[in-house]
Amino acid sequence: MAGILGVYAFDKIWNISKFLYYGIIGLQHRGYSRSGISTLSDKGFFTISGDSAPEDLELPEIQGWAGVAYTGLEKKYPYTTDYGVLSIDGVVKTDLNELSKKLYKDPETALMEADGVFSLVFLSKDGRMIGYRDELGVKPLEIGGFGFDLAILSSETPGISVIGGELKREIKPGELVYIDSYSVSYKRLKESSSSRYCSIDIVYQSRIDSYVFDGNIYDIRVRIGEQLAEERKIEGDVVIGVPDTAIPYAIGYSRKSGIPFSLGFTRTGSPIRTMLASDDFLKVIGVQLKLNPIKSAVKGKRVILIDDSMVTGRTLKNTIFNLRVLGAKEVHVLIGSPKLIAKCPYGMQVPEEKELIAANLPDNEITKVMGADSIYWLSLEGLYKVVGHRNLCVGCMTNLFPKW
Amino acid sequence: MKKVLLIGEGARENVLAEALGTSEEGYRVFALSSYKNPGINEIVMKTNGEYLIGNINSVEEVRRAIKQVNPDFGVIGPEEPLFHGIADEFRKEGIPVVGPNADGAMIEKSKVWMRELMWKYEIPGRLRFRYFNNMQEAAKFILEYGGSVAVKPAEQVGGRGVKVVADLQAYLSEEKRSALSKGVENVASLVKGDVKILIEEKVDGPEYTLHVLTDGKSYLPLPLAQDYKNAYEDGIGPETGGMGSISGPDYLLPFINREEFDKSFEIVRKTADAIAKEVKQAYVGILSGQMMLTAIWGPTIIEYYSRLGDPETSAIIPRITSDFGRTLELLATSHLNKAKIEINEKPSIVKAVAPLGYPLDKNMATGHTIWLDLPRMREIGCNVYFGSISQEGGKLITKGSRALEITVVDDYDKAVEKLDRCFSLISSDTKLIFRHDIGRTISQQEEKAEIVRFSYKSRESKGILGVSADWSPNGGLW
Repeated sequence: MAGILGVYAFDKIWNISKFLYYGIIGLQHRGYSRSGISTLSDKGFFTISGDSAPEDLELPEIQGWAGVAYTGLEKKYPYTTDYGVLSIDGVVKTDLNELSKKLYKDPETALMEADGVFSLVFLSKDGRMIGYRDELGVKPLEIGGFGFDLAILSSETPGISVIGGELKREIKPGELVYIDSYSVSYKRLKESSSSRYCSIDIVYQSRIDSYVFDGNIYDIRVRIGEQLAEERKIEGDVVIGVPDTAIPYAIGYSRKSGIPFSLGFTRTGSPIRTMLASDDFLKVIGVQLKLNPIKSAVKGKRVILIDDSMVTGRTLKNTIFNLRVLGAKEVHVLIGSPKLIAKCPYGMQVPEEKELIAANLPDNEITKVMGADSIYWLSLEGLYKVVGHRNLCVGCMTNLFPKW
Repeated sequence: MKKVLLIGEGARENVLAEALGTSEEGYRVFALSSYKNPGINEIVMKTNGEYLIGNINSVEEVRRAIKQVNPDFGVIGPEEPLFHGIADEFRKEGIPVVGPNADGAMIEKSKVWMRELMWKYEIPGRLRFRYFNNMQEAAKFILEYGGSVAVKPAEQVGGRGVKVVADLQAYLSEEKRSALSKGVENVASLVKGDVKILIEEKVDGPEYTLHVLTDGKSYLPLPLAQDYKNAYEDGIGPETGGMGSISGPDYLLPFINREEFDKSFEIVRKTADAIAKEVKQAYVGILSGQMMLTAIWGPTIIEYYSRLGDPETSAIIPRITSDFGRTLELLATSHLNKAKIEINEKPSIVKAVAPLGYPLDKNMATGHTIWLDLPRMREIGCNVYFGSISQEGGKLITKGSRALEITVVDDYDKAVEKLDRCFSLISSDTKLIFRHDIGRTISQQEEKAEIVRFSYKSRESKGILGVSADWSPNGGLW
């Protein structure tokens, strides 16, 4: 899982290094344990990267009129070779040196041959930018513009909007976009019978201000909350969403059920995406730090608690315990996605089956482990209904993957 | 048989030649161009006129052409001849002509003159502005003043050089301002006069053009059109004269309503009156407001044309079902009150085709051969207008700018489909640049318009229409 970004100025009076820096901060919710920026100027590529979130990168005064950036879990990006620099979201089963060389010489053939599930941005050393989204469209990629001056390729809308750009459209699955000083052109290289947009991107990973996979993420998540209310009626006093992802779910549930929505938690420190944290300890402390419950919002109440997903269940168990300590009478848990039962082979951080509680225990056992009064997951049909189509990759929920 | 002398050589003049050539008046069309435009040539031949090649900006050469042809009236297509006083020359010779005298064409030539006129006569839709002779001062202004700005060459330089920057992200302010201040030199280099740089408050919203025919007594608006300025696909990349346009349905655009049309018309009328007062002479020709629907004013003037827009002309004129050639004569002879315009309610889409290199590298875009299956394209329903392309021997050779404009009059979805079919019948020895997205993003424009409409309507109700200012700690109030 990663955020990738490319910025291209048609006029070399622009220095785009800070556009990359702020743009990639707009994508760090897609993974932040590793990040980097690479710019191209007359002196060649200049790259900074580190084991930190983009906002913690130390940005020196660097020049460049085009460049790419990366935020995610992989150490290798932005990947610089003699031919150019590359950022990838997903998994590509080709040697990166080889891929870079081929992209430089013949991008179409290179991408026709490249095997994997990924989106990429490549900037050649002679100043041509290439964007590509694999034919299943599992990973997102969008194109935006900035006046008469810049073209922007970004995983999601915030990478474009935080730098003042305007979203133009999504790159289609299997589509190549080619940018140089004299043209912007597209070519559909591969076509699949139907797309397979990543469900986790929709229910968890994308930012709520994003327009991704032909939909507004915020609207979809509010509808997921409404759908949960239809699938599962609960007698409750208050609806609470686990920050930040599940808040739109809670808003939707509240609207549909008429049960009041409340902010049940306040945040300590900067937002930490616990699902992304590489180490287990950080996952636990991340949540507990992040989620300090508000006593008056829960005391004496029958709480309907909504979260976006459940992996090991440990963080949710702690959360429920904390709510009880503060006087919650009942805690009913709703999960805004179907059960996660399989590891993602495409780079999304869904761990192996043995770590996934929903793959190992029946509902009544999970309820017991959680210390909840009841527990319910969004149905797969409910997810399809809310999104409006079935063109989703639901491999981690069904163990049926569209590729490999 | 009346004779008409048409000045110019682009796609717009090709459209005008067609209107004149198909008029029931049976005009003989003569043309003066700097190269032989195949489309104009076809009409000149058909109407038994004559094609003269020469410098359309030279008073002497035009005078010679007038003497040679002895036309009943003239039509001037582009702005440059107007700036050079070519309309004055026609009138000196006693020949009625479509096009204002050089004094009147100042509305387009000098953006500073235009803005000062709008403020002096308190015409709605006017933007705050500053102008600079000195580039250091301009750069300093850009670096110091708060707010979003548009930096423009102070003169009309063929739609180049405009830098527009929304300074809404404080964290990128320095980068944007630095690029803009560096861009100043570039912008200034395009300008011949003393006043080099115009800086205006930056506004945002959907753009459209309203063309108004006027002989100083009557005003006849044409249907609205919108042109697409960015060079590359999806509205990305450098500014051009326009890579395409749309017009309609009816007199409007899907994102501009009747009330906004009326307000826009009022602004252009008031401006034509103001010009006449200022230069003490009626404005005879076409006055076109390049407008934007903004949150500050609603209909707002971005710039004025003293002629028909290109490629807007290719979108508008093919929709006119009445005799537009005759209308041009009535305009030239100041009998516009006798003219009326009837239109096909269906909309139209125009797409321009340019050789690779346009607009950044003219040399790269010049001297290429283009082939097209004209009969087949016409069969599909495409009107083909020739622009920056000359007929040399049996070949069509690019001249560095937009080579062709292709028009289809039909409902938007059908028109884009026909255009796609026509584009498959064009080939070249270079890569061709054109935009697939034209006419396909109507709903986005509607949304944009709806958003600014909320704001300007609210301002209107509070009596603060047009009120705006910027302040910054170092620059003070502007």
